[in-house]
Amino acid sequence: MTSLATGGATAAADEPSPQRQPARSGRPASRSPLGQVLFWLMLAILTVIFLAPLVWMLSTSFKTHEAATRLPLSWWPTPWDTGAYRVLFGSGSANPVLRWFLNSLVAAAANSALIVAVDAAAAYALARLDFPGKKLIFVSVITTIFLPAFVFLVPNFLIVSKLGWLDSLWAIIVPSAGGAFGVFFLRQFFSTLPRELEEAAIIDGANQWRIFTRVILPLSRPALSTLAVLSFLTNWNDFLWPVYVLFSPNNLTLPSGLAKLQNAATVDYPIIMAGAVVASVPVILIFLIAQRQVIESVSRSGLKG
Amino acid sequence: MTTTSERSTLEGAPARATGRRVRRNNWATPYLFLAPYGVLFVGFILIPAIYGIWISLHDYDYLLPHQPWVGLSNYTDLFKSGSRDGADFWRSIRATAIFTVFSVPLLVTIPLGIAMLLNRRFPGRTFFRAVFFTPYVLGVAVVGVLFRFLLDPTIGLLNFYLGKIGFSGTTPWTTQVPWAWVGLVGMTVWWTLGFNAIIYLAGLQDISPELYEAAEVDGASAWDKFRNVTLPGLRPVLLFVLTLTLLASANMFGQSFLVTKGAPSNATRTAIYYISQVGLQQYRQGIAAAMSYILALILVLISLLNFRLFREKEES
Amino acid sequence: MNQLNVPVSRRGFIGAAGAFGGALALAACGGKSTPPGAAGGPTGSAAGGAYNGPKVTLAFWNGWTGADGDYAKQMVNQFNSATPNIKVNMNVFQWADLFQKMPAAVTSGNGPDIAAMHIDDIPTQAAQRVIVPIDAIADNLKLNESDYAPAVWKGGLYQDKRYGIPVDVHCLGLFYNKDLFEKAGLDPEKPPTNKDEYMNALDKLKAKGIQGSWVSPFQFTGGLMYQSLLWQFGGDLFNSDVTKATWDSDAGIAALTWMTDLVKQGYSPKNVGQDADYVALKNSRNALNWQGIWQVNEVTKLPSVKIGLAELPKIGDKGGVWGNSHQFVLPRTQGNDSNKVSAAAYFVSWFSQHGADWAKSGKVPAINKLAESSDFTSIAGLKPFAEEVPDVHFPPAVAGINDAMTAMYDAVNAAVLGKSDPAGALRGAANKASQILAQNKKKYG
Repeated sequence: MTSLATGGATAAADEPSPQRQPARSGRPASRSPLGQVLFWLMLAILTVIFLAPLVWMLSTSFKTHEAATRLPLSWWPTPWDTGAYRVLFGSGSANPVLRWFLNSLVAAAANSALIVAVDAAAAYALARLDFPGKKLIFVSVITTIFLPAFVFLVPNFLIVSKLGWLDSLWAIIVPSAGGAFGVFFLRQFFSTLPRELEEAAIIDGANQWRIFTRVILPLSRPALSTLAVLSFLTNWNDFLWPVYVLFSPNNLTLPSGLAKLQNAATVDYPIIMAGAVVASVPVILIFLIAQRQVIESVSRSGLKG
Repeated sequence: MTTTSERSTLEGAPARATGRRVRRNNWATPYLFLAPYGVLFVGFILIPAIYGIWISLHDYDYLLPHQPWVGLSNYTDLFKSGSRDGADFWRSIRATAIFTVFSVPLLVTIPLGIAMLLNRRFPGRTFFRAVFFTPYVLGVAVVGVLFRFLLDPTIGLLNFYLGKIGFSGTTPWTTQVPWAWVGLVGMTVWWTLGFNAIIYLAGLQDISPELYEAAEVDGASAWDKFRNVTLPGLRPVLLFVLTLTLLASANMFGQSFLVTKGAPSNATRTAIYYISQVGLQQYRQGIAAAMSYILALILVLISLLNFRLFREKEES
Repeated sequence: MNQLNVPVSRRGFIGAAGAFGGALALAACGGKSTPPGAAGGPTGSAAGGAYNGPKVTLAFWNGWTGADGDYAKQMVNQFNSATPNIKVNMNVFQWADLFQKMPAAVTSGNGPDIAAMHIDDIPTQAAQRVIVPIDAIADNLKLNESDYAPAVWKGGLYQDKRYGIPVDVHCLGLFYNKDLFEKAGLDPEKPPTNKDEYMNALDKLKAKGIQGSWVSPFQFTGGLMYQSLLWQFGGDLFNSDVTKATWDSDAGIAALTWMTDLVKQGYSPKNVGQDADYVALKNSRNALNWQGIWQVNEVTKLPSVKIGLAELPKIGDKGGVWGNSHQFVLPRTQGNDSNKVSAAAYFVSWFSQHGADWAKSGKVPAINKLAESSDFTSIAGLKPFAEEVPDVHFPPAVAGINDAMTAMYDAVNAAVLGKSDPAGALRGAANKASQILAQNKKKYG
């Protein structure tokens, strides 16, 4: 971490950062025919390897329970069956999948927004402001990244239950916003922002808050959106913690709710796969939409120095 | 006027010389900025972490009325032979180490290769980027069950095709080592590669094309360009990706739990898997906490080592 | 412990026969209905009989996910409409999650009013005061030891107090592929019942190139198979005061060796993955599978293959069948709502009464009479499992016993995967387990 910061500062000294060029869209693919063939070949092979399990997942979601484990294995469902999806969406009040979906969506979005908001403020202080105890605070925050999540389970459960947040989305939205990753990530980014703009703003008479909101944040949109997408994804897929704190069927998030559809001692592949399809579609959409932002944002996020 | 000339003076000066820390407002401002995060951090991270240390000094089961104080013996027992958990714990650390040693290099290098592929301009690039990122969108429960089936030695798809193209169709991908490691590492690469690739992609795009052109003018080969332009340009990204990947691999649990169940004979039972068993199934939270802190310490030491290595490389 | 030849004069158990009608009345030892509302015990009046108290809502938690949950839900709905005064809200979780949530919930005062768990979970949960003795409900239901298999009855006890009321038994049975039997020239209606017949069948299958009895190295089903064999060979898991593990006896070693020999002699492939033995059975790659009753509903509906169901063969000299049992338990609640306890008692008795309905999910009702009733025996495939119940063993009622059992499952895993010889694996595991037993005794008392 230290050297990342050092690396950042060095690079910033080398080339004035305001002139940072827009993300390049890459060099044109090789012109030579052999190069082209090899390129497409590699791409094709990799794509097959990557898509194969996903296609398998999708195809299994349309199989009957019996057909899912029928040998010899086949990619095409015979018979084609939407039973798994019907179980998911027709389950009625005991298994309100749409409700879980919404819960997950609300929780992940709120958690993501909270993380970005509080982490940005804290990271700004750590990156740009001077105050006693700064180093100590930063080091203690970073050190907690290394602690396995398990350590926090029981104590956080006790805290959350004292707060009265059990069985509510608050328990899913708030506690994880204390994590250190976002602070570290944004602090790194802020460290590499050009000071000139801030200096100019100071001369113009701005106070910290205005500098933060008018100068830093707008410049940081890419990093902020990267953090937002990553936090969303982490919260969306979180399983262990929601299982601890959510109880009533209507309050579950998608992963913990989908687990209820599985028999205790058997594996129902079509339902698992259908659940996975339902759970992945929104995130893939978000990724596609944010993709341009994410890639460009990471490029400016100071990670590269 | 004044502003402009000041500004131009400032622009010329190296960043550090401007030195002016923004200290316009009162002393409380930094703390106000820190406060919202600070509340969450102290409440949900720091206090539990300290509480965790406290727990690790007891024979702790939060459901029982008494938690006997045991001092450091939860820690020292792990180093004593013949203790209940010692051998299993270190074996699980070994499993984590094996997994980390094999997965991290792959997860650091392969995504780079893919990112370089995807860095070129070609039609459908957005689609391919999505393809490589999509597995990351899936949760571990799904990926685990999926690969448990695909990798099954007797009924799985992988062995089915391997048998068809002439290789052994009975490799025990989920029940024997070393193949179980290949299976676990392979599936993890498939699952999380896209994330690292996206980060690399951005890093690549920020390397100025002029540097490449200059290298070409000097007659550099593709390998030279890679070594002298790409890698240096990516160094901070590499460190970031390395740290993150190391942490993720060291915390691996779901894949072992779902795909191999730790088989054979707990050889693939990772540290987090074992810690969860001890803490959650056996209700022995004190020992589980102690094991967690030892694991954390090991990770801190390794990360410090990494940073030192990278810093030396930079200075050289 | 010999409980409950319930004297008629005890607290009211209103007309069991009257209230529920029919031959399926619970356990009336002398069978006569009793007048209501005699001096109330802690549960107040009329526990177990028709509930006459004010409207009450019961939170009911269990681990009956998936299809089990569907059956339970149906029954709960039926109960709710039949009993306007009581509304049962059922919440299901995966078992592993239930044992994280419920203790945590109970500790923070958010626990359920009634729950279901396994017989081997009861001691640990009781020792941790997650559940409280259920004597009051049991007394009012006039449970009679003779109505249950001895092991099922005893298993609900911990330190001489009753914590669980048995609902069902679910155990292993012999699943065999009738199509493969025919192919090998075996009679599909005559599955093997002892060692000779079993080996004979395997040989005939092997002659046709079929690996007839896949051995799984995992708890499901290898570990369960091993325990059945251990008892069949005359051994046991623990000694009588549960201070030592005894699976490394000659019987234990013989049992595990028989399993590993199946692999060595080619009747099973090596390195069988999780569930692969069962999937192979359904796909006619495996012929004999020691599988759980929970698969019955799927197996009887398979369109393209015929799977037969039978009792486990007696490979050893005795009967021995792995099994578990669901039991109703009373979570510790803050504040004693006697109405809720009465309502819960009534729900428990209603549910047990309808054991034949519950059995449709793939269980054997705990009450012997119900298991013999035509309602039950008419359910496809379950009869052999009911006949096995007298031979079912459960782990001893000691807190933390599953921690020690894990060592045994590890040994089976090691031996079946060829990582270690059966004797060595079992001995190492027994030593470890004995150490764990000692530590648990200190911890739980």
